[in-house]
Order: sequence, then structure tokens, then C-alpha cells
Amino acid sequence: MKLRRWLASGALALVMALGCLVGSASFRAEEVSILMPSSFTDASAELVKNFNREHRGRIHLNLIRGPLTTESISDLAISSLLLGDAPFDALLMDVTWLPKYAAAGWLEPLDPWFDQADQEQLVEGARLGNDYDGHLYRWPLVADVGLLYWRTDLMKEPPKTPDELVSVAGQLVQTNAVANGFVWQGRQYEGLSCDFLEVLQGFGGEWMDTTTNTMQLDTPEATGAAAWLNDLISAGVSPYAVTNYAESESLQAFKSGDAALMRNWPYAWAELQKDDSNVKGNVGISLMVAQPGERPGATLGSWGLSLMRQSSHQEAAVEAIRYLTNEASQRTRFLNNGYSPTQANLFSDPEMLKSSPVLPELQVALNHAIVRPPTPLYAQLSDVVQRELNGLFTETGSADEAMATSQQRSQTLLRAAGATP
Amino acid sequence: MTVLLAVPALLLIAVVFGWPMLRYAWLSFHADSVLTGLEPVANGGANWIRLAVDQRFWLDAGQTARFALISVGMELLLALAIALLLHQSWRGRGAVRALTLLPWALPTTMMALGWRWIFNTPYGPIEVLARTIGLDSLDLLSTPSITWLVTVFADVWKTTPFITLILLAGLQSIPDDLYSAFRLEGGTPLQALRRVTLPLLLPYILLSLLFRLAQAFGVFDLVQVLTGGGPAGSTESIALYAYLNGMRFLDFGYSATVMLAGFLLLTALILAGTLVLKTFGVLRPLDR
Amino acid sequence: MTRRSIWIALLLVWSLAPMLWQLVSSFTTADALVNEQLSFWNRWTLNNYRDLLSTDPPFWRYLFNSSLVASLTTLLTLVLAIPAAYGLAKLPIRWRGSLRTAVVGAALFPYVLLFLALLELARTFSLGNNLIAISIPYSALSMPLALLLLTAAFEALPNDLEDAAKLEGLSLWQRLRWVLLPLIAPASASTAILVFLFAWNEYPVALTWLSRSDLLTLPVAMARIAGSSTYSVPYGTYAAATVLGAIPLLVLVLVFQRQIVSGLTNGAIKG
Repeated sequence: MKLRRWLASGALALVMALGCLVGSASFRAEEVSILMPSSFTDASAELVKNFNREHRGRIHLNLIRGPLTTESISDLAISSLLLGDAPFDALLMDVTWLPKYAAAGWLEPLDPWFDQADQEQLVEGARLGNDYDGHLYRWPLVADVGLLYWRTDLMKEPPKTPDELVSVAGQLVQTNAVANGFVWQGRQYEGLSCDFLEVLQGFGGEWMDTTTNTMQLDTPEATGAAAWLNDLISAGVSPYAVTNYAESESLQAFKSGDAALMRNWPYAWAELQKDDSNVKGNVGISLMVAQPGERPGATLGSWGLSLMRQSSHQEAAVEAIRYLTNEASQRTRFLNNGYSPTQANLFSDPEMLKSSPVLPELQVALNHAIVRPPTPLYAQLSDVVQRELNGLFTETGSADEAMATSQQRSQTLLRAAGATP
Repeated sequence: MTVLLAVPALLLIAVVFGWPMLRYAWLSFHADSVLTGLEPVANGGANWIRLAVDQRFWLDAGQTARFALISVGMELLLALAIALLLHQSWRGRGAVRALTLLPWALPTTMMALGWRWIFNTPYGPIEVLARTIGLDSLDLLSTPSITWLVTVFADVWKTTPFITLILLAGLQSIPDDLYSAFRLEGGTPLQALRRVTLPLLLPYILLSLLFRLAQAFGVFDLVQVLTGGGPAGSTESIALYAYLNGMRFLDFGYSATVMLAGFLLLTALILAGTLVLKTFGVLRPLDR
Repeated sequence: MTRRSIWIALLLVWSLAPMLWQLVSSFTTADALVNEQLSFWNRWTLNNYRDLLSTDPPFWRYLFNSSLVASLTTLLTLVLAIPAAYGLAKLPIRWRGSLRTAVVGAALFPYVLLFLALLELARTFSLGNNLIAISIPYSALSMPLALLLLTAAFEALPNDLEDAAKLEGLSLWQRLRWVLLPLIAPASASTAILVFLFAWNEYPVALTWLSRSDLLTLPVAMARIAGSSTYSVPYGTYAAATVLGAIPLLVLVLVFQRQIVSGLTNGAIKG
């Protein structure tokens, strides 16, 4: 009897000891959480599984699935950060939020972990939009730029200057070769700001001089850019409906064969090669037009991972960030979901090229990437310009007035928010 | 002194209702944004200058006023009709009254989710109904000139029961002999409504009007969840704009300015309304 | 059918149809939601509820959070408001008028405008993400209505009952506890249920004071669910969330409808 009891308690003790050992092994694994929009978490599911397998017992990575829309996920992150109680160690950041989050003191600089050598491996466009106030705050995951899509069956080569675009597209519309000349995003939303920035760059202007914190919207270049966009609509080169187009509407118009030129993001390429596309095989990509002597621009729309200052697992989080942005992960993400890579040498990789022959053009575009004003107040400044531009297109008034008003309102805004020139 | 018992409660009210407005008044004369590290830095009225020319604010103010006035107007009419119906005695009245109270019980954000589905294009029941009777797609939630009416509808649905109860209380306080006397003198029911009911119901109507107007002016839950202020900002209210300025743009100074301005506008609206009513002699029965 | 029955029927349809539609949608498959041609027998499923209940955190958590906050708020409000109302009812008429106007003003105030200052308080005093702390502003926001209702109830009491109790040597607290509280029980019940419903329904303060997903109250959770659609919109699950979230409230309102009605009507008459 006594022996049995001894054996039983011995066995129990052994089991408990083993359990503690096993338990503490998984306890020792650091929990790293990264908040991302749901489209990215879904695309990274496999990668996360692999990471956790390779780092079993040391790091456990968990992707928090956030809302899909850009605004919603930022609102969600901010509501936690304002209360000082954010349950994530890293965040997937859109390029336009970076200045705001960095200025608010919520991000940890990544300089200790990523150096010049790492930067040089990135394609040029991906190196932009990651810094604020002299520090690196974000490591890019995907890098998108605005592209000019053109119909190879309707023209021999894409237009290079604003005048060329107007004459080529205008002629096609007049001879009824196509219903619409050039479709783009003219609705009152962030997409309009992206389109405007490219045209602004093409006319030699800039939105804001960030070294002096002064707006540059009432310059002849800016007014010229706004006037050119407005004239596209009044001259019939672009349909009036463009004033309510977002990316999906312009894509739909181009995909059904109703447009000769389209401005959109790289994701559109894959859509246009699907079987239900009327323009399959007849699409080329190029850069947005620019005045002779001006460098064409492509608005950067990139997502990258930032480390939170209040995270207590910073080393582990950085390891996860490195993993999710390494070459293998980028290759997987591109081949499976079409997300543009950031590593420069992937653009000449044979497997990648086979999947998407336009990678070289995309790289060229990335080398012409331009960023929207990297100020913490960007969202409000963009709102002012969106309103004025959309108002210019849909109501009477001149580009001079619209740009002058934008300039005044932007300056008032900066002053009221405490910007020192 | 037994009144000292009231001090904790009154203090709580004074702090929670009084402090914010004072704070906003002070904050509105400072820059308090992410550029100043979320610390207030005096900027000598720059926020107010900005507000004066802020197209988005005035647009929202107009939209909010439009929403509040139309919404409350419709609620009053509907509530009056329902209260008259519930005032008569018929079998099952109690049960029906309880059932009509249910819309008021549900949180706005929860039902907003439901409305997003009901008005969804192209799959919601309204769209399906429109299709079956041969109409084109209604696009109720994505047409700037129409979506605000959907918000009015949702608001009316939720708050009418509340006003109905108040008006019902008012109806119940009117002694029956007044009606009998009126009928004896040969008045029709419609005339009774106009000459007996409405004047005596006035205090209750005004109370509902005042209360609902103030609440509707601060509409936030509904527009944030149902439309997010869209499409194209056509349903954005002052409260939502203030919220976005604070929580999205991290510009606390301007958010405070917007809210204070909204409060002042509301007060002005109520004072103006009172003046108008006084001039038309509508308030005379109250002097009795 | 009499004309009146038609109106009654219309009234019921108007009040109940949207909720019933949610109920129907919650049992409908995703395919059937987008395809009205699908045959009747293929439309039904319990998947929406299953998906809803297997979320992280589980849906019932939000109901729990809301109940907790609402109970604490009601308790705090009553504890402060009942003695306060007693004190106010004893005030000379001179003061009562202006004080009542102030309280009525607070009751009418659109409290969403308070959110920024309250958020600043939450940040300064670390009151965020704390279900107990949030009942303090909630209590303050529902205090005006509570004061109006309870003061009216105390004023309506005849003085002789309390005088008799005073003669018997009962102290203030004893009088309140044994004589007055039972007498104003109907008003207390009305106040309690109205405050409880307010705390359940409140959104802006909860939205800014609570960010952790396991601490959200129901309205904030529903808003987050609303904002989280990915590709095709999972309206079946949304509808299931609406139904589950609505059940406690609907039950409450149906059970306590008499108190709610008398509370609102008395508030109207005295206000």
C-alpha cells in the first residue's frame, strides 16, 4: 500500500516537473504582436507559421488582424496609443502616417538595427518615406508607386509630356477609337492628392518646402498643374465622371476597354491580365507625363513596419520585422498576392520576371518615386487640397483661385497648429 | 443643513459639464497638436481665424443643423400621431406601447450596423424591393444628396418612441371634460385637436423639441458608424469633425475650438428659435 | 379590419420590421444574402452565430463589460443622487428654481461635446481601459436626469410621514433608509433602469476611454465589428451580432417598461 502511494506521488511529481519544463519552455518564448490591415495579415499567414516554427521556444509571432481600410486601422492604433496602452509591439504603417506617429513620440528609431548596407539593398523608391527628423522609423514591406497605364493597341508609345497626352488621347476620343481618353482619380479623397502630386512634379512644382515649413501651392507650376487637370475634363479628354472616380472605378473603365490611358497603382496590372479583361495583353505601363526638362514623378504609397517605443520585446520584434521583409518573404508575397517587392535585386530575378514581365518598368517607376509632404499635419493639408481641386473640377472658378485658396488655408492651418516656419 | 447632501452630486455635474467648456475656451487659444508634442502652446486666436474660413466646418454646421431640424420635425409629427393612437383605449394597447418602445432601447451603433445592411446596394432588402418594382438602383448610401435622409430616417426610427412617451404623458394630463365640453358646443374632433389638444400639449412639445434638438445637434454615433461622414463628407456632423480633429489629426487645440463653436452655434440656434416662437405668439399659452 | 387596426399594424411594422429583418438575416447563409433567387430551403444556417461566438474575445464578453459598467454606474448614481435629491427637495423655493434650470440645462446638453476634455482627464490620471473608472463620468452624465426624477419624487411626499419619524427619534439616515426610500421606490426603480440603459447605450466616452478589445462595451464593439470588413461584407455575422447584442436590452425594456414609461413621463411633467 505504502509503496503504491509512493510510486503514485513520484509519478505525479515527475509529470508535474515535466509539465513545468515544457510549460516554461513555451513561457520563455517572447510574444511579439504586430498590428496589420486584414489584407496583409491574410497574405502573411504562411510566413508567420514558418517563422514560429523556426523560432519555436524563443519567439512567438502573432499578427493582429485589423480593419481593411487605411483610415480605420490608423484610428484603431491611435486610440490605443493615446491611452498609453497599445497591445502591439509593431505596426504596419502607411507612408503618410509616419511623421504623425513619429512626432507624437510613439515610435522607436530603427537606426540601431538597420544600417546603410541594408538601405542600399532596397530599390530607390522604398528608401523614401521611412525617416523623420533624421532618424529611421520604418522598414518597408511593400512599395507601390503611381503608374500610367497605356493601351498598346491604340498607340505606338506612351505620351511623355502633358501636351502629348492631350493630343494623343484627345484624338482617340474624337475619332471614336475609344470612349474615354484618360481616366484617373478625381474624387474628393486621398487618391486625388496622389494624382495631383505626380502632375505637380511633372510641372516642376512642389507641394510644401519642408525645410522652411512653407506651402508652395500658389506658384505658377502648381497652378499650371491644377489647370491642366481641370482642362482635361473641360476639353473632354477625361470624362466628367472622373470627378467621382476612385481606383476601382478608373480600373473598371480601363479594363472594359473604355479608356486609352489610366493612372493607377501596380495591383491593377494583374487585374488587367485576367480573363474577364477586355484589354488583356494590350496594356503597357509607363511614368506619368512631365513637362520637357522636368523629371516625371510617381507618388509613393508604401507600407512598412515600425517599432513601438513602449514595446518590451523590441529585439524580438525587430527579428520578426527582418523576417517579414527578407527576400524570401518578399518573393512569396509577390508571387502569391502581387505585392511589389522592396529588394532591388528581386527586380531582375528570373522567377519573378516570369510571373510579371513589367517588373523592370515598375523598378524605373520606383526610381522616380516622390513622397507626399512628410509633415505630421499631412492629413489635414491633403484635405484642403482635395476639396479645392474637386471643387475646381465640379464648379466654376479658376485654377488660380483654387490654388490661392489652398495656399491660404494650408498656411492658416499650419499656424493654428503651432508650426514654426 | 440637509442641502449639503447635494454637494457631491452637484459637484460632479459641475465638474463634468462645466470644466470641459472652460477648458475648451482656454485650449482654443492655444496650439495643441502633434506638432507641439500634444502640449498647449499659446497661439493668439489662430484657431479661431482658421475656423472662420474653414469651409469644412461651416459645411458641417449647415449639415448638422439641417439634420437636427428635419429629424426633430419629423419625429414630432410622427410621435404626435402615435401618441394620439396610443391615447385611445383599445385591447392590447399596453403590449403595443411596450413593443413600440423597443427601437429606443437599442444602442445607435448597433442598429447602424443593421441599417448598413438594410440599405446596402445591391443586396439589401430596400434595393431588392426597388428592383422588383422596376426601379433603378437607388444607391442610398453612396449618393451625397440622399444619404443624409437615410441618417434622418434612422434617427427618427430610434428616438420617436421617446417623444411619443412624453406627448402621451401630456395627452393624459388633459382632463376629459374639456373634450366633452368642446363636443357639446358642436366641435369636430379635428377642431378639438387644434383648439384643445395642441395648446395644452404645448409645454410637452416644446420640451421634446428642446431636448431632441440639442441631442440631434450633437449627432455622432449614427454618422460615424453608418456613413463615416460620407459619402464625400455629406453626412459629417460637427461632433464627428471635432472627433476627427482630435483623434485622427491629433490637433486637440482645433478640436476644442470646433466643439466650442458648435456649442455656441447650438445656443444661438435655441435662442433664435425661442425668439421666433415668442414673436409668433406661440409661447403665449405658457404664460398662464 | 377597422381603420384603427390598420394604423396599429403599420405602427408595429414600423417599430419591429428592422429588428426582425436582422433576425432573419442572422440565420441566412452568405450566399443567400447576396442572391435572393436562392430557394427557400437552402437559405438557413447557424454558421453566423458559430462564427460570432468563436471570435477573440468572445462576444459575450462585451455583454458582460456593458453590464458591469452599467451596474456600477447605476449604483454610484443612486448612492449620490438619492441623498442629493432629498437635500434639494428641502431647499427653499427661492433656490430651487435656478438650481433646477441648471440641472435641466445639464440634462439637455449634448454630452458628446465633452469627449475631448474627458479624454484629457483619462490620459492625465490614467483612467483609460478601466471599467470601474469609466463609471465615474457615466454617473456624472446620468446624474441630471436622476436628480430631476428623484427630487420630484421627494417633493411629492407629504411631510407628515417624515415628521412622525422625526418625532420617533430616527436620525436622518434612519429616516432615509426605513421611511423615505421605500416610499420613493417606484421613482428609484425608474431612475435605475433609465441610468442602466443610458450606460449601455453610451458611445463617445467609451470609444475614447476603452481601447483594449477585451474591455470594450457593446456599442464600441459593434462599431469595431462594423469597421472591420475585409472583402465581401459578412453581413450575416453582423446581423447575428445585432441580435445577440439586442436580446439583453430588449428583455430589460420589456420587463421594466412600466418603470421606464413612468420615469420618462414624470421627467417630462416636472421638467
